[in-house]
Amino acid sequence: MPTPVIETLGLSKVYQGSVGGVPVLSHVDLTIEYGEVVALRGPSGSGKSTLLNILGCLDRPSRGRYVLGGSDVSGLTREEQAWVRLHYIGFVFQSFHLLAHATALENVTLPLHYAGVPRGRADETARDLLARVGLSHRGSHFPAQLSGGERQRVAIARALTARPPLLLADEPTGALDTKTGAEIMRLLLDLHKERGTSIILVTHDPVVADYADRQIFLRDGKVVDTEEAQVGARA
Amino acid sequence: MALGRETWRLALKLIVRQPGRSALTMLGLAIGVGAFIAMVSFGEGARKSVVAQFEVLGTNLIKVQNTTPAVNPRARPSIPTGDNEVKLIRREATTVAQVVPVARRAASVAWGGEQRPSYVNGVTPGYLGLHSWDVAAGGNFDASDLTEAAKVCLLGKTNVKELFGDRDPLGETVTLAGMMPCRVVGVLAEKGFSTNAADLDDIVLVPVTTYNAHLTDRPIYAYIEVEPLTKDLLDSARAEITDILRRGHGLEDDEPNDFSVSSPLEVIRAADRTARILGTLLAAIAGVSLLVGGIGIMNIQLVSVAERTEEIGVRAAIGASPSQILTQFLIEALILTMLGTFVGVTLGIGVATLVAQNMGWPRVISPSGVLFSAGFGIAVGILFGYLPARRAALLDPIHALRRQ
Ligand SMILES: Nc1ncnc2c1ncn2[C@@H]1O[C@H](COP(=O)(O)OP(=O)(O)O)[C@@H](O)[C@H]1O
Ligand SMILES: [Mg+2]
Repeated sequence: MPTPVIETLGLSKVYQGSVGGVPVLSHVDLTIEYGEVVALRGPSGSGKSTLLNILGCLDRPSRGRYVLGGSDVSGLTREEQAWVRLHYIGFVFQSFHLLAHATALENVTLPLHYAGVPRGRADETARDLLARVGLSHRGSHFPAQLSGGERQRVAIARALTARPPLLLADEPTGALDTKTGAEIMRLLLDLHKERGTSIILVTHDPVVADYADRQIFLRDGKVVDTEEAQVGARA
Repeated sequence: MALGRETWRLALKLIVRQPGRSALTMLGLAIGVGAFIAMVSFGEGARKSVVAQFEVLGTNLIKVQNTTPAVNPRARPSIPTGDNEVKLIRREATTVAQVVPVARRAASVAWGGEQRPSYVNGVTPGYLGLHSWDVAAGGNFDASDLTEAAKVCLLGKTNVKELFGDRDPLGETVTLAGMMPCRVVGVLAEKGFSTNAADLDDIVLVPVTTYNAHLTDRPIYAYIEVEPLTKDLLDSARAEITDILRRGHGLEDDEPNDFSVSSPLEVIRAADRTARILGTLLAAIAGVSLLVGGIGIMNIQLVSVAERTEEIGVRAAIGASPSQILTQFLIEALILTMLGTFVGVTLGIGVATLVAQNMGWPRVISPSGVLFSAGFGIAVGILFGYLPARRAALLDPIHALRRQ
């Protein structure tokens, strides 16, 4: 049996200062295989973003183990976390989070810059990726000059330049209209097929979630099975 | 790390793309560095100019004058400085190269039907050397002119201009004080104005013997100038001369000098000291403005870190390590600092040049001063750039990303 890309065991998160130490995540056990597309669903405030941040090594669990690509990454230093993010993880956000003073091409090149790839090669890779997401003519545009859909395409290209095995997307279509959102989803799935990137996708939208191989439901920081979640949603 | 050059390039790009913010950040430091360089230059220029003005008086020179004991009218009248003193010093002093009596009076100078009021000095040939005064045309009078009390003279530039205009005065005969004709053997080089705005070129020099024979009824000198053997002997020569004259004048131990033995060097030293203190004061004030410039950089960088929280969070999410973010902000501060310092150095030299031209003093830009202020400026920038950079590096990326 091959190693899963993600394995968590009893993952919990308690924010200091939250009232009575109420956990935002409690005992989350997850296994995600290489090449899977998983939708993470749940009501607002159920802890989806918190889980995604821990999986993305932006945050640390309060308790539990997190094994990424076979290595325990629960207790890394901030420098080590950065290294893991750089080489293993690509992020896509609801609000794009492009650097406003950098062009589309520079935004896409950025991870390669931090990885120390020489500029010529980095630019070439970035240009290819921009072309792949359909923006070869927009390389020298600044984010403010791009539409929402175009910005998210740039963000996706940026998340994939360093060829990470794992892409984390927190409501990537949340700020887009339905049609553009569907295009972005199709792009993500195409890239997934071409590159074999595993994707964890946070979404409210059942239509978007249907693109995924598998759905995981969170409720009050706990993983619940589908029926329970739907009961909860109806209640 | 391969990151190095690329990070500089990207930081420079960011700076160029936000010219307003960048200029604002640099402004304080540029003004600080500029002010420092300009102020140090003002101080040095003013000092040099003051010292140069005093140096006209001669740096290797002792002046002996009689003093009137005005404080005590019943004290016996002082003996005027005359040939007696000259002989005493010439005979007894061991530390003295030459003694130049200077007789002086106001007298008219006339030539070709024109006449103007001027001053006549009766001196020895050594007078010119003692004052580093050159002869512009013709030559100095010599020892035989002195012994023969020859009727020869040297004209100052002002007299030449006023009486002769463009014509050549050499060999012409001018009349001094309406009675003594003398032949012009030389024209003095232009000397300019003294510290008290007297025209030093408004003068005629004649041998002191000639002066005594024809231009006065008793040989009394305005002062006697003494050149010590070497500059180092200046103070010993002064003591020696004081001693000789006290004995010569028969002064008791409790009697004060009825003459003064002074040296322009004292005045020069005092002026130099004062100017140096002023210069240091200027530099200190400018140093404070440098510091303020540095604090300006820190403030704007701190605000910038707060403004750029999202950017920092995004960079972190992408995989920038805290040390890479620290480096980025440090490099930004460093570039801004270097640009600010460069602008400041240019500004400072420019202002110093302008002021020097307008004030008519030498433009002194000491390389060490420029280096110091540039170094200090850059150090201040790094120092004050570090705090914001560290704050950026320690920023929690989640916190940064949540705050939108
Ligand atoms: N830094 C924090 N400190 C305290 N509570 C937090 C912090 N971040 C998130 N929370 C809380 O954790 C819960 C889950 O948040 P989040 O993971 O953003 O939910 P979701 O993404 O599912 O909407 C919320 O109740 C939120 O208020
Ligand atoms: Mg969320």
